[in-house]
Amino acid sequence: MDSRNLGEGLGGIYLDNNATTRIAPEVVDAMMPYFTTYYGNASSQHGFGLPVDKALQKAREQVADLIGAEHPDEIIFTSCASESDNTALWTALWTQKNKDEIVTTKVEHPAIIDTCSFLSSHGVKVHYLDVTKEGDIKPEQFASMLNERTALASIMWANNETGNIYPVPALAEVAAEHGVLFHTDAVQAVGKIPVCVKDSPINMLSFSGHKIHAPKGIGVLYVRRGTRFIPYLHGGHQERGRRAGTENVPYIVGLGVACELAKQHLNELNTRVRALRDNLERGILASIPECMVMGDEGHRTPNTLNVAFKFVEGEAILLLLNEYGIAASSGSACSSESLEPSHVMQAMEIPFSAAHGTIRFSLSRYTTEAEIDKTLEVLPGIIARLRELSPYWNQNKPAIAKADHVFDPDSQEVRA
Amino acid sequence: MWDYSDKVKDHFLHPRNARVMPDANAVGDVGSIICGDALRLMLKINPVTNVIEDASFQTYGCGSAIASSSALTEMIKGKTVEEAQKITNQDIADYLDGLPAEKMHCSVMGREALDAAVANYHGKSYEQSHDDGEIVCHCFGVGINKIKKAVWENHLTTVEEVTNYTKAGGGCQSCHMRIEEIIDEVWVDLEKCGVPRPGYVPTPLEGIKIATTTVKAASSAPAALDSATAESPYRAAAEKVIKEVSAGLPQGSSIELSGIKGTEVAVSIKGAAGEGMMGEMTLTFLGKKLQEENSALTVRRA
Repeated sequence: MDSRNLGEGLGGIYLDNNATTRIAPEVVDAMMPYFTTYYGNASSQHGFGLPVDKALQKAREQVADLIGAEHPDEIIFTSCASESDNTALWTALWTQKNKDEIVTTKVEHPAIIDTCSFLSSHGVKVHYLDVTKEGDIKPEQFASMLNERTALASIMWANNETGNIYPVPALAEVAAEHGVLFHTDAVQAVGKIPVCVKDSPINMLSFSGHKIHAPKGIGVLYVRRGTRFIPYLHGGHQERGRRAGTENVPYIVGLGVACELAKQHLNELNTRVRALRDNLERGILASIPECMVMGDEGHRTPNTLNVAFKFVEGEAILLLLNEYGIAASSGSACSSESLEPSHVMQAMEIPFSAAHGTIRFSLSRYTTEAEIDKTLEVLPGIIARLRELSPYWNQNKPAIAKADHVFDPDSQEVRA
Repeated sequence: MWDYSDKVKDHFLHPRNARVMPDANAVGDVGSIICGDALRLMLKINPVTNVIEDASFQTYGCGSAIASSSALTEMIKGKTVEEAQKITNQDIADYLDGLPAEKMHCSVMGREALDAAVANYHGKSYEQSHDDGEIVCHCFGVGINKIKKAVWENHLTTVEEVTNYTKAGGGCQSCHMRIEEIIDEVWVDLEKCGVPRPGYVPTPLEGIKIATTTVKAASSAPAALDSATAESPYRAAAEKVIKEVSAGLPQGSSIELSGIKGTEVAVSIKGAAGEGMMGEMTLTFLGKKLQEENSALTVRRA
């Protein structure tokens, strides 16, 4: 095994499924004919176009089935969930010229947060819901932010870093009572927890293929019938005039199959995979001192575990895990190109001593018990080794020897 | 994943001198847990010879922070304090076969820990011996002097580079304009010392004559040189370099040769260029130019 060159068949333990997932072999098989045999354009009026058009229809039905959409034509295929999110925000503003406010949370994915901050620099007023230390939002605060100027409320269904699940169906009801359009970024929820859009007044929903074992480069925007809509991408009649551009047929076919598989495996994710995640969590808490689980333990996606290891830094943990071929991710500053810990950890007001040492393990239906056992076998040694190097740690307990206030890990100082 | 060099990886996986030194007589603490990296450098300095007989560290931080600390301890062991202080952050990065640009601040932290340890050895705190100056980046608490030093020593030209080296500007970004001004200020001095600013073409002002003659400091006649200096084989070289560097200094500053002992050139720096941190910079720059002229030569203040 070469720790700098890992992949399927090359060894390694992949526990970073909230970042992206292994493409299911069934998905690849289903896609192949649309690269080789069926290369026609779905819009063409000849025998090359017809099978392709039929394949798109089938995929649309498979997607609608997974998210509980009443009509397959409510599904718009996009290039990624970020495009879906951008489209949702823009269409809400474009179709309601008398409204210029957006309500969202502080813990959204950058596809929403960064787009909102761009919009706010162009005159849109954005309200951000706070979160508790467990990363939960306060539903009563949500209601108080809605008014007649609110063009859209956009609340994620599940958080990518903590796995926290938000009460989206209930929030959609509240938005509907206030006459406000409701969108949800459900990238981390679809395929992990039951999602049914026809049961609640959700107007729009985004998700992407590569989090559910389809390839990267394919996303979905669900738009409920009757929701006023102006396209984000113009230039063609595709997707009933709602998203221009020749359909990415092989990827759409792949996504359809991935959705069907996701529905079949939903129960497994909430039983077998959840048990593995719980084993990992229990094992870590039992064998490693001074660590804590981030997020709301009662309301999390079944595959996600986020742990903060105090007094050690996340990137160093990832590097050592990678030496054993174990792939996870971190909310620390150093593992990204930004110098700040993740905005989610900052919104949760996690002390800096812990925020820099957060590690997210995210499992999938391909994760095995042996992989979790192996992780539990090496992790205590890794943390102990880094703590031995840390000036904040001495003889298995936190050390603060003559540290000035800046060097003091328990300093209550927060940055301006 | 960062594409670290094999040497960085080696020093991260097998850190040298990572331990507590109970009998250290110089300890330098830099960084903080809030910023995401912190380093404690521990030294045993022989009070008679000034040689760093042992060095060890403890680091909280990412892979490159641990590797930079490990490299630093290896580099300074066996050197005298004066020799060790000549090490720049770039030397640490070079020792590790380079660091990713975004991680250069790890090498800067190593360099600072050495300064802090030496200050501690002399019974001062790092803050006492180093004037941070005006705080420019409030998110990471970076002072103007650290930014100026990083720009000066590493010839940085963009805010992004300054962030990579010092973290300044990596938070709320409200100080970016101020950092740009500081970069410009330092480059005015760097250009005076003959360093061309990459990609920077000054607007030609034809027809306008700008007076460029420097007003020499009104100094007393230079003291007579002793016989060792007068007969030193390096005298001509030293005088030539001093004249060149002197010409590039701001108005009212000058450098005078005080004496040459062996290969060591003693100088006195008059005016603003000799004060505080500017003095250190001038001296470092002069030392570099002297070495370029003759690699045996070193410089010190008279």
